[in-house]
Amino acid sequence: NIDPESLLPKLPDPSELKPFPTTCSTICRGHQGKVRTLAFDPTGRFIASGGDDGTVRIWDFTTGRQAWSVKLSKDEPVNAVAWRPGNDTCILTACCGENVHFIIPQGELCPPDQEARSREILDAGFGHAAAPTTASKTASGATKPSASTWSRPSSTLQSHGVLLTLTLRTTPKSLSWHRRGDYFATVSPSTTSISTAVAIHTLSKHATQHPFRRLKGLAQTACFHPTRPLFFLATRQRIRIYDLQQQKLEKELQPGARWISGISLHPLGSNLLVSSYDKRLLWHDLDLGLTPYKTLRYHSKAIRDVAFHPGGLPLFADASDDGSLQVFHGKVVSDEFENATVVPLKVLRGHRVVRELGVLSVGWHPREAWCASAGADGTVRIWM
Amino acid sequence: MATTTTETVTAPAPRQTQVRIHLHTRSDDIELPQDTGPILVSTEVKRYQLSTLVNRLLETEKPVPLEFLINGQFLRSSLDDFLTQNGISAETTLRVEYVRALIPPLYVASYEHDDWVSAVDVLSPSSKPVRWMRNAEGPAMPQRILSGSYDGLLRVWNTSSEVIATGQGHTASVKAAKFISPTQVVSSSVDRTIRLWKFEDAAAESAGTLTPTLELFGHKASVDRIAAHAPSSRILSASADHTIGLWSSKKAEAPAAPEEVLPSANKRRKLSNTKTVPQRGPLSQLLGHQSQIADVCFDEKDATVGYSASWDHTVKTWDLTTSACVDTRTTAQSLFSICHLSESSLLATGTSARHITLIDPRASATTVSAMTLRGHTNVVVSLAKDPNSSYQLVSGSHDGTCRVWDIRSVRAEAMDRVGDSVYVIERNSASGGSRPAAGEGVKVFSVCWDADVGIVSGGEDNQVQINKSTTS
Ligand SMILES: [Mg+2]
Repeated sequence: NIDPESLLPKLPDPSELKPFPTTCSTICRGHQGKVRTLAFDPTGRFIASGGDDGTVRIWDFTTGRQAWSVKLSKDEPVNAVAWRPGNDTCILTACCGENVHFIIPQGELCPPDQEARSREILDAGFGHAAAPTTASKTASGATKPSASTWSRPSSTLQSHGVLLTLTLRTTPKSLSWHRRGDYFATVSPSTTSISTAVAIHTLSKHATQHPFRRLKGLAQTACFHPTRPLFFLATRQRIRIYDLQQQKLEKELQPGARWISGISLHPLGSNLLVSSYDKRLLWHDLDLGLTPYKTLRYHSKAIRDVAFHPGGLPLFADASDDGSLQVFHGKVVSDEFENATVVPLKVLRGHRVVRELGVLSVGWHPREAWCASAGADGTVRIWM
Repeated sequence: MATTTTETVTAPAPRQTQVRIHLHTRSDDIELPQDTGPILVSTEVKRYQLSTLVNRLLETEKPVPLEFLINGQFLRSSLDDFLTQNGISAETTLRVEYVRALIPPLYVASYEHDDWVSAVDVLSPSSKPVRWMRNAEGPAMPQRILSGSYDGLLRVWNTSSEVIATGQGHTASVKAAKFISPTQVVSSSVDRTIRLWKFEDAAAESAGTLTPTLELFGHKASVDRIAAHAPSSRILSASADHTIGLWSSKKAEAPAAPEEVLPSANKRRKLSNTKTVPQRGPLSQLLGHQSQIADVCFDEKDATVGYSASWDHTVKTWDLTTSACVDTRTTAQSLFSICHLSESSLLATGTSARHITLIDPRASATTVSAMTLRGHTNVVVSLAKDPNSSYQLVSGSHDGTCRVWDIRSVRAEAMDRVGDSVYVIERNSASGGSRPAAGEGVKVFSVCWDADVGIVSGGEDNQVQINKSTTS
């Protein structure tokens, strides 16, 4: 029996694959309890994080100085933060309880012209009268209560820069923007109402749709294709790729994971990473069929998140409950006859494991070979 | 001790007890009156004996402590050990470079702040702001330390660690602060402004003052560093908005502030005609960087030339008379600090990859990196030249140390010339304990080197720390 892997050409030495993060350069402290989510801003100056203390915080990630914060809830955690794509605005979205908050951080974080543009974008939808898409008639003819409302939050929140709140009747745990910054998707995995677990929203119209009313399986997370009208929806064990224009299922991937925790689509759109609670990291080359091109088992505990570098560097990283992050070289080649090379580069350690929970989220700087992690130990760490 | 020669086939040669050395220096003031040619010395000699020898040749009144560099390495034991360790035959004539001995910069004092210290500068008889004056007061000038803090305040301290003046006006963290002259200070802040202040020193009975005299508007994001050149009354600013500002420190010379960047409250105040600090705009904005600017400096010899270091991995050279970018050097990392070493015509730049890259900005230079200084374990965010030496500099890093480097002490590696630090200055606040991971609590944000006061640094420990080399 010959291990087929042994016939493959030898992998390049990690030292030839620089730059990649090797060292913890900053620890951002302030959150009380777990930090669940983080995101670098599109310009790469700041990082936002959210956690169990119901706060969203923005950090100067080179010094670890907290630049801004807001308390969104007394008892609900912040489950997801994401910046609206593009350098023309400075809009942070945060999922907390059943709400999606739209935030323009106050203070000096956002240049005046960006702030003005951001306010315009958030206010535009108020011009659209409550669209009929959000309310529908039941069989008896009564109007069902709307599944979502878009409104101004309390004056206290407004004074902190929270200028718009979308309230769902489910608890979204993931939020993913379309590249153009008008559509975004939310996924509420633990809802009893499966038909509203996945929602696609249009910011400019303050509109919400639930296109997957008869979904098989429990939705976990979702993302948009960067250039084509495709939507990637992960349930616990499957990833379905829908064509939003033609309204049909294009493909169903079988990662072979028992419980998917996260997905990350390569910026070119042809390769997908899948992380799983059953310790596996799966690389799908969408041109190579429905099963994974590679299965990576490097962690001793659940993998909670995975992220491709968004800015063109051949890097990806995952985050695990074993307290470590693993950084890989993963070069996607445009030639469809040549496959991607995957090389493990570095294990990043530092987060403390707290009650079996380790690193909960990982994200990359938009351009540099720097990544950040959010931990159950209450810290955000920057790796350079 | 046995001599280890490599692959000797014949019997080992009798141990050489003498070696020929050829002494030279790059410091004019300690040059030998005439070239001695090769001198035969015992291989047993160490630094001290060589120092005595050169001092005798120099016929100095008071001996100058010297150190010796052979092949870019400091002589730390006997010549014999050096030859053995480096596999050099005693038949060779050694080229021995002598330099003024480096004296360890010992801890002197710390000045406690309420918040992180982002910026430090010094006013002393030998400092640039005093030398720039035509009728310099010289030795009469007292020593003053300027600090900028994340609490939004500027402070001027005397050397008894007393605050003698406080500058209040910035609406967010101060990021940079410099003396322009003994009576003028410039600062910049996360609040996007640059402010000029009149500094009046404490007199017999009264405290000193820092009075705002001018507010400079034009940047759209945090202004993180500034450089000042008093003779031409020019200020350079490095901003997170990807631009560099060129400003005048003279109110009469500065153009009006651009309306669109003035805060709206200011516009209202202007209309109501109340007396406020005058506001002005930039002489020009230098465009071309693709990311935020980390640091700027003037050419030490020609203030019509400026240099900038950016997160976009480049160092740019600017012609400040035309505001044109005349040269771009691209490195492999984001750059966080810059400093001009005028005598060697090199730019030192601190990187996100934890080292310092020395760049030759002259058009004739064929490689981007002239040498690399390695040792810091976190990003290098501040650099300053030794005022007494053309070859030494100090760096401040988020690893919680300042390091002193001598660019004559470099060794050749495969692709590069590499140097190690000569001294490591720890934070006194860390009190000898092991350095915390990621420099947590002890990051250094700013360092400055003054001939009178010493190495002054400020950081995350809320302290300004002074270290000084004392010869006695
Ligand atoms: Mg993620």
